[in-house]
Amino acid sequence: MKTLEYVITDPVGLHARPAGLFVKKAASYESSITVKNMENGKSADAKRIMAVMSLGVKQGNKIELTMEGGDEETAETELMAFLKENL
Amino acid sequence: MGFLSGVFKKKEVEIASPASGRCVSIKEVPDPTFSEEILGKGVAVRPAEGKFYAPADGKINTLFPTKHAIGITTPEGVEILLHVGLDTVNLKGEHFTAHVEEGASVKKGDLLLEADLQAIQDAGYQTITPVLVCNTGDFADVIPAAEGDVAPGDNILRIKL
Repeated sequence: MKTLEYVITDPVGLHARPAGLFVKKAASYESSITVKNMENGKSADAKRIMAVMSLGVKQGNKIELTMEGGDEETAETELMAFLKENL
Repeated sequence: MGFLSGVFKKKEVEIASPASGRCVSIKEVPDPTFSEEILGKGVAVRPAEGKFYAPADGKINTLFPTKHAIGITTPEGVEILLHVGLDTVNLKGEHFTAHVEEGASVKKGDLLLEADLQAIQDAGYQTITPVLVCNTGDFADVIPAAEGDVAPGDNILRIKL
């Protein structure tokens, strides 16, 4: 199991386009991936758009991703890079 | 047993227009987030009036603090996203009034939110409203069912279970 933390810098938070792209990326791994909004404690399956958007992640909120499965190391590296670039 | 078996026997779910206006292809939405179906398949409504009604029975599982977007999950598990206008997240709730709360159960046709369409346009935003199925991949197909003038309650999407 791998975990990573990231603070969202996108002014609109985890919404619409960045949320959609994030979910698409997360869904490309076989590992199970959970995303948690550290501000309110809500967590969701990172592969489901509605669940991810309902976390209410805003700019400045810290999220925690937990990855578990065969490709968890690749997922950790690539998702971190994705977050830095897009969110 | 009766209620649940009734739900699961259905082969198709119909999603209604949330507003009066014109129903157009999602491809006509000038925002790739929607036209490239990044958030799921659907259609869009160019609203003629700023009143938005529940497109199906379900539960409000997301109401953005900015009140411009609302997520509804139907009893069959269809996750519908109603996104009023483009980039309207930037209005931070201004010109929008919500009539429901997160977690509420709604019936098709219940008033969900009101938007001052003129004020939104004057602020420089388009009011075209994508209606999407976020979990498109969970279903056999999501098919546009209308084009042209629609009234609230008219069927605009068919979801094959």
